[in-house]
Amino acid sequence: MKAGRWWDVLRMRFRSLAKRKRVETELDKELRYHLERQMEENIAAGMNPREAREAASRMFGGVSQIEEECRDMRQTQYLENFLQDLRYAVRMLSKSPGFAVAAVLTLALGIGATTAIFSVVNAVLFRPLAMEDPFRVVYLQEQWQDLFPGVSVGNFADLKKQSTSFTELCASNNASFNLEARELPERVIGEIATADYFTTFGVQPIAGRFYTADEDKPGQPRVVVISERLWRTRLHANPSIVGQPMRINGMPTTVVGVMPKSFDPLLSNSDLWIPAAYTAEQLADHDDHYLNVMGRLRAGGSLAQAQSELNVIAQRLQKQYPLDDKDRGFRLQPLTTVLLGDHRLGLRMMLAAVGFLLLIACANIANLQLTRSRSRQKEIAMRAALGASPGRIVRQLLAENIVLGLVGGVVGVFLAHWALSWIITYGPAEMPRLEQSRIDASTLAFACGVALFSSFLFGLAPALRSASTRLNEVFKVSSGSSGGARDRLRSLLVVGEVSLALILMVGAGLLVRSALLVSHVDPGFDTSNLVVGRVGLPDPGYHDPAVARKTFERMITVVGALPGVESVAVVSRAPLAGGGSSNGLLAEGKALDTANFVDSQLQIISPSYLSTARVPLKAGRDFTPQDSRDRTLVAIINETLARTMWPSESPIGKRFVCCEAGPKGRLDPVWHEVVGVVADVRAWGLDRQVQPEFYIPIAQMPPSAWDWIGRTMDLVVRTRRGNVPVHELQSMVASVAPAVPIYRLSTMQQKISGTLERSQFDTFLLAIFAVTALLLSSVGIYGVLSYIVAQGTRDIGIRMALGASQGRIVWDVLGFGMRLAGIGLAIGLAGAAASTRLLSSLLFRVRPTDTITFTAVSLVLLVVALIASYLPARRATRVDPMVALRYE
Amino acid sequence: MSKPSDLIQGTLDLLILKTIALGPMHGWAIAKRIQQVSKEALQVTQGALYPALHRLEQQGWVRGTWRESESRREAKFYGLTKAGRVQLDKELEQWHRLSSAVVLVINAGQEA
Repeated sequence: MKAGRWWDVLRMRFRSLAKRKRVETELDKELRYHLERQMEENIAAGMNPREAREAASRMFGGVSQIEEECRDMRQTQYLENFLQDLRYAVRMLSKSPGFAVAAVLTLALGIGATTAIFSVVNAVLFRPLAMEDPFRVVYLQEQWQDLFPGVSVGNFADLKKQSTSFTELCASNNASFNLEARELPERVIGEIATADYFTTFGVQPIAGRFYTADEDKPGQPRVVVISERLWRTRLHANPSIVGQPMRINGMPTTVVGVMPKSFDPLLSNSDLWIPAAYTAEQLADHDDHYLNVMGRLRAGGSLAQAQSELNVIAQRLQKQYPLDDKDRGFRLQPLTTVLLGDHRLGLRMMLAAVGFLLLIACANIANLQLTRSRSRQKEIAMRAALGASPGRIVRQLLAENIVLGLVGGVVGVFLAHWALSWIITYGPAEMPRLEQSRIDASTLAFACGVALFSSFLFGLAPALRSASTRLNEVFKVSSGSSGGARDRLRSLLVVGEVSLALILMVGAGLLVRSALLVSHVDPGFDTSNLVVGRVGLPDPGYHDPAVARKTFERMITVVGALPGVESVAVVSRAPLAGGGSSNGLLAEGKALDTANFVDSQLQIISPSYLSTARVPLKAGRDFTPQDSRDRTLVAIINETLARTMWPSESPIGKRFVCCEAGPKGRLDPVWHEVVGVVADVRAWGLDRQVQPEFYIPIAQMPPSAWDWIGRTMDLVVRTRRGNVPVHELQSMVASVAPAVPIYRLSTMQQKISGTLERSQFDTFLLAIFAVTALLLSSVGIYGVLSYIVAQGTRDIGIRMALGASQGRIVWDVLGFGMRLAGIGLAIGLAGAAASTRLLSSLLFRVRPTDTITFTAVSLVLLVVALIASYLPARRATRVDPMVALRYE
Repeated sequence: MSKPSDLIQGTLDLLILKTIALGPMHGWAIAKRIQQVSKEALQVTQGALYPALHRLEQQGWVRGTWRESESRREAKFYGLTKAGRVQLDKELEQWHRLSSAVVLVINAGQEA
């Protein structure tokens, strides 16, 4: 019943608004009916028709008055007034098209930039991960010293048995597979995952099923779950794919299920999942730390509770496996943080930047509005004199701003749409979910909110000011001398704009400087004419370490015979190729204590690698083909490792222990002798810290290392000039290892620009925003000074008539402009100094308070401000005293 | 003769709701009926009646429909909605409470 009444109320309100005309005629008809009945009664009482009408009308009172009251009762006058205001606003704006266009464009710029960046932030950060209740899914890592490696299979098995905080706990590790589905073998990325992987994320397959816990055991027939993308792009969306066989890594495997398009819980672009099927041996291994472990928190359980349970279990494991789990703990984080955390800072910085831009745009429009309100003073005063209340006038002026805001918003959304497609095309490929950014309902709501918010922002001050204008002042002072308070407000706006622009410019300046420094970093090897591709040998057929090694050696030989190839080598992970394996090194003479281990990156190389990549040898010798497994085990280390392990001695001839155990058991040391020192290679990216790194020859690698690197090596080819044709490399590799593809093929220079893509993109965007901000705020300075000059024409005329020199006048105007810029500069510098600290992790070799950047940016700002002030100043000198005085 | 302004605030709504509780009526009839039933003591002017009717309609308590009247012309008839009936009960109860309270106060004044 209650709902029924609200329905009635709504219906009536809607009717009163939408069918206004009909309601009005009905009201008219209703009142006329009353009047006629009254007349009839009067006639019946003996009056003649004329008398009757007059009497009835007299009794009735003013019809229009009653009508007005009835309208009031309908309570729609606010909205009607508002609509009327909007119509009036459109009329007023179309009378000053220059202002309207300038304001709409400025605003569209602000709203467009804000909306575009918001769409990206929304897609990348805010949108929940495509899984059931993503906020309960957590990511588990081991913690050892300040490192956070993956979890060992043994520790995972123990955690799964002992913990009670999770309804599901699953593990997976990334791997890539040779897939033979079409003519050419292809390499696809996938995961080796436990059976509960799928239930942890709570996503159902679109066809078939997950594999079961029974299938996730060693010795079972091979099964695979594939992605929708793989099914669509490589299997022709075959509707009866479930139950079909395909060859993965040379083994026949049955497809049991297809996951939906959105399923990519670790944002790793996985295309297939095969059962982990840990063997008893793996389950006992507490020493290899490589698993991704994900869990679903029990309902009502918190992250902190789960963490404290893990701490208890960790202590237990430390006692149980004193060798492997010594000092080892666990770290639990929300999955969202792990996956997207890296991108938060950059994106928030962008959002802040466009926010600043929007504020500057609003300040500019407010300034324009103030200028207009001055010339509209008389119109407004007239309205007030005719009885408009201040509230009504403010509402009317705000309506004008809302019109501007909405039009600016619409244009802005178009700009955003365009900017967004640009960002998606040129944005960093590594940013997850970037391609999902689009203008959707939430983005539109955001844009609408921003538009309305900004129209209040830039409209309220001028509107209030206009409404409080005293009538007598307006009519008393005709024109001429400038109003002091009004100028203060305008100056304040300009100072604010300048300081915001300066903060943006300093941020952009720091990033630009950092990017310049990065581009001059020596990568530590010769990147020109170097081609890199990865080759992974499948376990069946290449399980024997000798076979695997021979295969790679044959590849080096045949590729080396290609025309145009200077030399060829293999390395377990080429620089900038991502990944790698770290090992704890213990120098000879140091006690067996975790504190003495140096964490270092292992590179397994063919003897020709260092010369092919042209990594300069700093001391000792390079590897030779004579360094075989039956000779002394040798190693070459980089300068960083040399400094860390033997700070004040020559490392040549020194020995360290690592990587494998001798025949007498786990504590039997295997020594490697350092025979050479090479320059540091920036293997993780030009802007990254160099890690301690050591090289061992492929002929001396421990047999088990083939499993660590997944029988995968990077083929490094130095050409005489230009590139080797891709298909030639492919057919050479396939001639040595049939059905084995070479993938991630690119030049070293492409790999380098790939790693810099994100920071360069951030830099580029921020630089655009900063330049726009600078332009907008200089327009602000220009506007204020022009206004002051125009208002002060008479004063200037008088001063010139009294003998003031042109220079003096220019100096005054310039001085005023520079004073505004100076105050803005000071505030901006303080703001920048306080806020650039937040950028420090994005900067390379530049302190957040870098003096050079701060100085350079300030100079640029002052020069631009000077130009912006000079133009109005020059106009001031052209004032003809006679004209100015007669103007009155 | 009472003018509407003499009516206690809100009483007009009560009078209208009570009058049309018997069945839908148009404005003129409502005014006439109130006048007759109150033996000419209460005269509702059009200036008060129609705004009140429109307000009641906006609030969903009465609903107006166009129908042919007894004078064979189209007139807007106001009838009670369900919500209006509830509102009438509420207003009646309030009125009774108020008027008995007023009577109590007046009588107490006489005794003192």
